[in-house]
Amino acid sequence: MTRPLTRRELLERAALGGAVLTLPGFLAACGGSGGGIEGTATTAGATTASGAKTLADKLTISNWTLYIDIDEKTKRYPTLEQFTTETGVQVDYIEDVNDNDEWFGKNQASLAKGRPVGRDIAILTDWMAARMVRLGYVDKLDRSAIPNASNLVDALASPGWDPNREYSLPWQSGLTGIGYDPERVGGELTSISQLLEDPKLKGKVTFLTEMPDTVGLMILDGGGDPSKVVKADFDKAIERLQKGVDSGQIRQFTGNDYSGPLAKGDIWAAVAWSGDMVQLTADNPNLKFAIPEAGGMIWTDNMLIPKGGDVFTASTFMNFAYDPKVAAQIEAYVNYICPVKGAKEAIKAIDPELASNALIFPDEATLAKAKIFDAAAADDKTYKEKFQAVVGA
Amino acid sequence: MNLVRRNALPAFAFAAFAYLLLPIAVVVVFSFNDPLGRFNYTWEGFTLKHWGDPFGPPGLKEAIIASLQIAALASVVATALGTLIALALVRYRFRGRGITNLLIFMPMTTPEIVMGASLLTLFLNLGVTTGFWTIFIAHVMFDISFVVVTVKARLVGFDRHLEEAAMDLGANPFSTFARVTLPLIAPGIAAGALLAFALSIDDFVITLFNAGSTITFPLYVWGAARVGVPPQVNVIGTLIFLVAAGLMLVNVLVQIRRPKGAS
Amino acid sequence: MDWLHRHRTVVPYLLLAPGLAWLAVFFLVPTYYLANTSLQSGSLDVGYAFTWAWDNYSNAISTYHEQFVRSLEYAGIATVAALLVSYPLAYFIAFRGGRWKGLLLLLIIAPFFVTYLIRTLAWQTILADEGFVVDVLQTIGVLGDGDRLLATSTAVVAGITYNFLPFMALPLYVSLEQIDARLIEAAEDLYASKVHAFLRVTLPLSLPGVFAGTLLTFIPAAGDFINAELLGTPRQSMIGNVIQSKFLVLTDYGQAAALSFTLMAAILVLIAIYTRVLGTERMGV
Repeated sequence: MTRPLTRRELLERAALGGAVLTLPGFLAACGGSGGGIEGTATTAGATTASGAKTLADKLTISNWTLYIDIDEKTKRYPTLEQFTTETGVQVDYIEDVNDNDEWFGKNQASLAKGRPVGRDIAILTDWMAARMVRLGYVDKLDRSAIPNASNLVDALASPGWDPNREYSLPWQSGLTGIGYDPERVGGELTSISQLLEDPKLKGKVTFLTEMPDTVGLMILDGGGDPSKVVKADFDKAIERLQKGVDSGQIRQFTGNDYSGPLAKGDIWAAVAWSGDMVQLTADNPNLKFAIPEAGGMIWTDNMLIPKGGDVFTASTFMNFAYDPKVAAQIEAYVNYICPVKGAKEAIKAIDPELASNALIFPDEATLAKAKIFDAAAADDKTYKEKFQAVVGA
Repeated sequence: MNLVRRNALPAFAFAAFAYLLLPIAVVVVFSFNDPLGRFNYTWEGFTLKHWGDPFGPPGLKEAIIASLQIAALASVVATALGTLIALALVRYRFRGRGITNLLIFMPMTTPEIVMGASLLTLFLNLGVTTGFWTIFIAHVMFDISFVVVTVKARLVGFDRHLEEAAMDLGANPFSTFARVTLPLIAPGIAAGALLAFALSIDDFVITLFNAGSTITFPLYVWGAARVGVPPQVNVIGTLIFLVAAGLMLVNVLVQIRRPKGAS
Repeated sequence: MDWLHRHRTVVPYLLLAPGLAWLAVFFLVPTYYLANTSLQSGSLDVGYAFTWAWDNYSNAISTYHEQFVRSLEYAGIATVAALLVSYPLAYFIAFRGGRWKGLLLLLIIAPFFVTYLIRTLAWQTILADEGFVVDVLQTIGVLGDGDRLLATSTAVVAGITYNFLPFMALPLYVSLEQIDARLIEAAEDLYASKVHAFLRVTLPLSLPGVFAGTLLTFIPAAGDFINAELLGTPRQSMIGNVIQSKFLVLTDYGQAAALSFTLMAAILVLIAIYTRVLGTERMGV
């Protein structure tokens, strides 16, 4: 049975470049705060014979800070406002992901009971996304609403924990390397060993609390392969880290909060994330980012739909984000690695310099030196406990 | 020698006050800073723009509103419940006084992390979703003890003769309570309420464990600390300080003007 | 009305009921659940089950005894430091404050209305490696040239001391203020020196305040983790850090609960010893 297109659906189709939407009957589970069809102007109810899909009034997104373009003056999000204009969906954007474990810890109880957590999209790092999928805490994407998913770069098309990208789509990727102040350090830094052994750097070095990043770099530095973690390599890495802590060489383990001390001079070198470093140069123009000779880590933050989220609306947003022009817009601000093909060309229109920035659009050579951490090892209880013991908890 | 001895104590007190107020001074000063990037650590220049735009950073306003709402609700409920308990403890004889005292005493002496964690396990086991209301429940829980202690102190010093006099003059117990007792213990109740409000609005650890996806002001600051606390947080901190100091100043001035017998 | 008067004995129970019920449900019951959880084992993947897992306790103590001891140590030092700073301060306000008592008290309390985290972050600015305070200390020789204040145990203990100061100062003030100045006068009339009068009259009479202040400072300090996290290195980690990590990062709820209980038990034991040493009759408990 056909029914007239609502104005919303017409705009939506136009925005998606004329892609034809097929409409298998599917609507988000009721009870989600972003879901439901609470008395909107659309005609169809939750379960019409034609299985019409309607967009919810509101989309709630949980993300890390500084991960989407924002107009500093008006404090508004241009990309999100564009989405609202095109689809009529209000976006509630909440920057409450400070740490994968913390976010998970806060929401775990609800997720375990299958209760909605008030989010339609949550953006979490690889190994945590893998855990969410494994535990069944996420809903499948509505791939029919995401034709733009074909723009996903090949390198990320098929991770081990979600081979057909049924549950996730990358938001941004990033490189982990060394962020440092060459003036204070007195030269270039090219290896993790320098951080651990240079006496000049004693007490001026921080590592990350994220095990995949810290241990990954340590394993690379020790000559191993972090994409398939071997116990001997892991233990050796832990041993070296512990030595660093005991001797006072390593000052602290941090999350994003290495940024302040690095800018301020409390630390001179940190295991750091590429995008952060690009943004930090505003505070301290001397700062540099380097991938160690032995190799760096590459990670991806993925969009997921926590159980109870509005699948259709969330998927529509994901499709929107995978439009190369929109992706370029986001990228121009965020400065991490863009997972969308075609964004590089599109970004030339916004800021041509960015198109040639190897940290945002890395070339083959850079990517070859970057490894993804073994997702199974990242969530292994024993490994995590050993690492936590070094970190001091 | 005598000069030194006379002034040693005031000098020490002065130094102690300076020490207490130093971080606050830093917070206030840096609310006027104009940082280059995201980090507000080094003094760059004076500006009033953050004061003009205190709710600029996204999420800050919602966090403050959540904190204020929870604090207001929690302090009202805790003050009511706590005052009743204080009245019972001071005015009446009953069995189970020891246990009551123990139950009041225990939350004050349990480390926050233990209280936060145990509440979380309660909610986990019952399948309750953590969020605004679980924070509210937690705050009332630890506020009650402090209200009881505060109001009790006031009640203990209360002159029963005033009540007896009122009743001798024909007032019934309710009337006496409403028109004699309550006004006289009101400062104690107000103090208890203020304390409860302050504890609630500042609470971090217990809230961290039980907040679910709700964000209160302290939780907001915690998240912001990772990527650079915006100067607006300093503005809000300064405002909180001024409002609190102002309220307490009013309380103090009222006390000073009270006739001797009643305080 | 009359009913109430005739059933006077019921009234106190009616007054107590709502508040105590709240505490019973939201304090006692969670304590039970914590105990229950401490004997559970399992993980997120397979679920958790009650298995009389006493090894949660034995593992907790054997693996983390260092952090336990350190927490009690830091809390102890911070409490003593707070006492040393607060006592003269409270004494000053109580005996020399005069009309300004209320105002001075306000000056002690008001800073603590500014959010705990903001205050601690301010210390990060004040004690920065290249900041003013470190510079001065290096110039006058207290600190070596390569030394720092932040990320040290000194900073952590100093932070704890600062953050819990009013919990020590206020009870001290309350009990000092209640001392009748005439008692001290009397002692001096009887040829006691000022110091002697203090030691034999003032100090003993202020002990209830010392007791209350010590408890209200030591107990929260022992469970603190924020100062250690923001102002320390992994070598300063306290038991609070471990508990937080076990709960939120490792989702090892059984061990986390066991650690929490052990901490509570340790604190209660110390309090019992302390109370015994001081003597309860004087405490007004």
